[in-house]
Formats: sequence, C-alpha cells, structure tokens
Amino acid sequence: MKKIILIMALALTGLSLFGFRPANEVITIKGSDTMVILAQRWAEIYMNERSGVTIQVTGGGSGTGISALINGTTDICNSSRPMKQGEKDRLKQRYNTLGVEIKVARDGLSVYVHESNPVKELSIDQLKQIYTGKITNWKEVGGNDARIILYTRENNSGTYVYFKDYVLGGADYAATCQSMPGTASVVNAVAKDKNGIGYGGAAYSKGIRSIAVKKNSSSSAYEPTLENIKNGQYPITRFLYMYTRSKPSGAVKDFIDWVLSDEGQAVVSRVGYFPIR
Amino acid sequence: MKKPFLAVMCLLLVTAGYAQDEGGTTDEKVSELKGQVEGMNETLTEMLGGLKSLQKLKFSGYIQSQYQWADTSGNPNYKIGNFAGGEFSQNVRDRFMVRRGRLKAAYTGDLTQYVLQIDVTQGGVGIKDAYIQITEPWLKNFTLTSGIFDRPFGFELAYSSGQRESPERSRLFQTLFPGEREIGMMIGYKNEGDGFLSHINFKGGVFNGVLNTASENDRTKDFIGRLGFTAPFQEQNLAIDGGMSLYMGKVTSNSRAVYSIDKSTKTFVTDSAMTDSLGKFDRKYIGADIQIYYDIPVEWLGGFSVRGEFITGDQPGTASSDRFYNNAHGGTVTPLYQRKFQGWYLTYIQNFGLKNQLILKYDVYDPNTKVKGKDIGATATSISGRRLTATDVAFSTLGLGWIYHWDSNVKFVAYYDMVSNEKANQSATGSLSKYTKDLKDNVFTFRIQYRF
Repeated sequence: MKKIILIMALALTGLSLFGFRPANEVITIKGSDTMVILAQRWAEIYMNERSGVTIQVTGGGSGTGISALINGTTDICNSSRPMKQGEKDRLKQRYNTLGVEIKVARDGLSVYVHESNPVKELSIDQLKQIYTGKITNWKEVGGNDARIILYTRENNSGTYVYFKDYVLGGADYAATCQSMPGTASVVNAVAKDKNGIGYGGAAYSKGIRSIAVKKNSSSSAYEPTLENIKNGQYPITRFLYMYTRSKPSGAVKDFIDWVLSDEGQAVVSRVGYFPIR
Repeated sequence: MKKPFLAVMCLLLVTAGYAQDEGGTTDEKVSELKGQVEGMNETLTEMLGGLKSLQKLKFSGYIQSQYQWADTSGNPNYKIGNFAGGEFSQNVRDRFMVRRGRLKAAYTGDLTQYVLQIDVTQGGVGIKDAYIQITEPWLKNFTLTSGIFDRPFGFELAYSSGQRESPERSRLFQTLFPGEREIGMMIGYKNEGDGFLSHINFKGGVFNGVLNTASENDRTKDFIGRLGFTAPFQEQNLAIDGGMSLYMGKVTSNSRAVYSIDKSTKTFVTDSAMTDSLGKFDRKYIGADIQIYYDIPVEWLGGFSVRGEFITGDQPGTASSDRFYNNAHGGTVTPLYQRKFQGWYLTYIQNFGLKNQLILKYDVYDPNTKVKGKDIGATATSISGRRLTATDVAFSTLGLGWIYHWDSNVKFVAYYDMVSNEKANQSATGSLSKYTKDLKDNVFTFRIQYRF
C-alpha cells in the first residue's frame, strides 16, 4: 500500500506542477455572435497598442461561450444575456468561484422587416403573438395580405434567449420560425424576403428597415436610435456582458480595464452599440 | 441543411434553363420555378418544425470506470468497501469495476420536462430517474415534480455523482438514503429574479418511503423537505449557501417484536408500549447543511469550498442493519430495532488552476448514539436483553484525494479512504471480536470519468 501511496503522491505532484504553469499572454474570448464584431475591433486595436498580447475572438453564441467558460476553454465569455442561476451553479461547483459579470456595452434589439413592408410599428404584445404563431398574416397588424415569415436565431444565442424571455414572456417560438446562425444571416434573409421579420443587434441593421416598437398598445412607438435607447424609451434594450471565472487578473484584467476605458467605449459607439456611460 | 438546399436550387435553375431551351414562355417557366421554390419552402418549414422539436431532447451521461485496492481481502466477518462502491467479495482484494454508467434523456418543453435516467453497470441495468416536472405558467417560480427523483434532503444527496469530488457520498447518506431516489410528488420554489426571494429556495414533497425500486408496502407516506438559502457576496468573492432539512415518516412493523435501547443495561429490550404487529414507528431525521465558497485572488490557485452537513434523528432498523426498516406485511417477520443516530461530514475542496483539485473529507456516522464502543460486546446484564451487534458500531472516514481534469469531458480521480471504527469491548467474542481494534478496511480508488 505504501508503494501505491508513494506512486500516487508522485503522480499528483507531477499533475499539479503541470497545472501550475503560469498563464501566457494569449487571451481567448468566446461567446455571443452579436458581440463578435465589437470584440474583434477591441482586440485589433488593443493588440496594435500592446505588443506581446494575443487575443483570439470566436463566436458561437452566448450559451456556447458560457459553456466554454465553465469547461475552462476560454478566458472571457461574451454574452448578450445575463448568466442563468443554473449556469452560475455549475461554475461554482466546478471552480468554487462565483464568476464575475462585467457590463461592457448597451444594445437596442432591433426588429427588422423588409424595406418595402408598410408596417411601421408593432407593440411588444403584437411581436409576441407574431413569434408564437398566433398572428400569421401581415394584414392582422396593418400590412399586406401575406403570410409572415419568421426568422430567428439558434437556441444557443443570447439574443434568442433574451427575445424569448423579454418579448415572448418565456413562451415557445412558433414551430415555423427559421433559425439562422447569426444576426447577419437574419438581416440577409429579411432583406431578401419581403414578408420576412427578424431581430438582432442594432449594429447589423444596415440595408433593411427597423420598425418602431411600443411597450403596449396605448404607448408611443420608438425607433432603436441612440437617443431613444439611452433615455430608456425604446423598450427592447439590454446590456452586453463579459464574464470571467474569477476576478480578472494579469493580462485579462488589463484588457477588460481598457475595454471599460474611454478608448474602449469609443469603439462601442463606432461599431454601432451604446456605451455603458 | 444549407448545402442540400443550394444543390437543389442549382439543379432547379439548370433544369429551368434547359426547359427554356426546349420551348415555353419565360413567364410560364418562372411561374413553374416559383411554385417549386414555394413548395420547397413549405417542406423546409415543416422540416425545421420537426428539427425544433428534436432540439428539445437532450442526452447527457457519464461512465465511471475504476480500479480499487483494499487493505485486506473481503471476508465474511466484516465488510470492506461497502461504503466505497460496494462490498469486496470474499478473498477479493482489488478489482476493476464500472461504478456508474448513466444515460439521461431530458425533453424540455416550455413549462414542462420529461426526464428518464438509467444506470448500466456490470451488475445490470437500473432505473435512476423517471419523472415529469411542470412549472406553473404565472410566476414560473413553482414546480411540481412527480415520479422517481432525488429526495429533497440536505446538499450531498442531490449533488450529482458526475460532479461530486469524492467518489462516493458520505456514510450517513448511504445509510439513511440508499439509492438517493424515491417515488413521490414534490413542490419546488425557486425565484430567478432579483430581490430577497431570489435567495430562498424550497423543495418538499410526499413519498412512499420504501426506496425507488420497491412498491409501497404500508399505509403511511413520508414528508421530505428542505428550505435553502443562497447568499452571494460578489465583491468579497464569497458565497454562503445552506439549508435545513426534515424527514417526517413512519415505517410499519410486521413483527410484534420491537426493541429499543435500555439506557442502564445498554442492551435492546422489548418496547412494552409497542407490542402489537403493524405498529407504526417514527423514521425522523433533521439536518442542517452549509457550503462556503471563496475565490482566492491568486491566478494559479483558484477557489475553495468548505461543505458541511449534520443529521440526527430516529432510525427504525433491524438487528443486522442500520438502514431503515422496510419489511412488508405478509413478508418475512423481522423484529424492529429502534436507534437514535447522528452523523456529519466536512469537505474541503481546493482548486489549483483550471485542471487540479485537492479533496479532504471527514465523515462520521454513529448509528446508535445511546451506546459507546465499550458497550458493544460487553456481557449483557439483563438476560432478557438483546446484545448490541456490529450494526451499532460507529465509523469515521478520512478521505484524501486529487482530481485532474484532463479536458471538459474526462477527469481522473485518485482517492484514499481511511476508515476507522469505534472499538468494541475487549471481552467481545465471535465476529464482534474483530471490532476490538481498528479493522483493516481502507480503500484506494483510481477512477476515470467521461461525462458529456
């Protein structure tokens, strides 16, 4: 038995030394597709200013990013929705940490229609009825007599989850929804489909028309402009987040500090999102 | 999906071009093509609807394959490894085994969930979970769960074996809640929002109280519940979770012979108040648990957690078993033995970077708090009394282990259980004489787990 314990101790020491290697200057960022372009811009500018730091940015969706954070395959997770309690619990169980949430930008979730579509505004409730399949024809909301073609994101997307939770009130999407791999694909699909409707980040809304959204049937409709989002009148707004497993330190901390600086927040505006202050 | 769609589109365009050469007006051909595209669009929409349903079905599972080595070979006089994955057979000192082979299917709808989990090992196939969960549509905070599922008691019981750091649950949980699951119905409360109520959770329900693999065998139902809290202190890198649990149940004796401890003679004597068969006896546990998480702000180190749990209560068992009395009316008549028990554990888990974890665990289980080791095996002072047995011996286990997470699916666990028993009276004879000193029953486990 003593031999076994000795072998075990040696093996564990080896493993632990292997695990204690200090982190190098490569930062990996995974997660929200909505935030991919923003994160890439941040990374490009930051790497130009600081030699010796490499930042790798990939998308895949907020859910994918959070899973990567829990699995230890990314340093930073980009997410366009807050972490769920179940995800926080998994992080706590695996690493004995609570995770750190950093708000890095604000986003107005735009609802797009084809530019020829006569419908100019919709209420949250109408959007819910459209996306849950209760309203299926544009004429029911003041448009042409044509079937509504629904475009949505895949279910690992934070945008998908946010829209489901906030606009659909947690209800299921209609079975006729066509899932698209990214917000750019949604925009592209709606641009080619005069009966289509989709949603996504404001940064992707070029080339198609974003409709004005009303909180309820009696309130005014607001378009997703900088002013309306900043003053809280546009009803579908959200924060964009970065998550880390532990309190950021070293190169990760330096990068996040820079993202939150005036220079980093200026990039947010240039890409089409809204700074957090 | 995209590639076949594009291929069909190209084929249609080529076909359309060829057809145009053959004759017919352009408008007719465009109209025909449009019809075909619309038809394809409808087919695609239908297929996407089917795919969406399939996305609600998720499979997960894990296999734990392990090698174990015990201090001595299994023998008939005392048990080795019975709380470390199962008793070693006679003359067996080391073994390979598949400890758990789980496959879980969960179909999650908008407000409903179907869960079925099986366990496949060299011992056969067993059912672990089979339940339905319904969430109320108004607040979405309350759930109703019905079927076979984890008993809502304490922390470690419901902590998945795939995630748990030590290879096995503490001795007290293995004794009090064999199989972890039960058949019943449960109400749950959990608030995902903000505010005070988001820090409170509750689970409580009514169960048969006879194990998840057996049918109800008496007229009584058992209540099991836990009121929990979670207190994150984000700025301090600290979280404190905990809860209080209660088990209020009864078992029905199928024997007139019911024994309880006589304090003066330290033997089991006939309980004069309970001489009738089909009498009902308390199975009552109360427990408290706490989990503290702290993230040490040192990059190569990481977080640690300290988890502890304490349970005490009344356990109706038999002369040879401190597990709960579970004998059906009409079955083998078995005398019931009443004991007061107490148990606790403390676990320390330290992360080292992303890959490594150190585990230290100490657990204690005393099946009969009214007697001490020196009473076991001592000559009975009353001739009518029934002597104490090995079932009344208390145990403590110090576990030391290391986990190496190879990747997000695979982990290696090396763990050493050092088991100590309460020392029986030096005058003990027969099989009890083995308990006059510490048994050679330590177990080393090397486990590989694949989880997805």
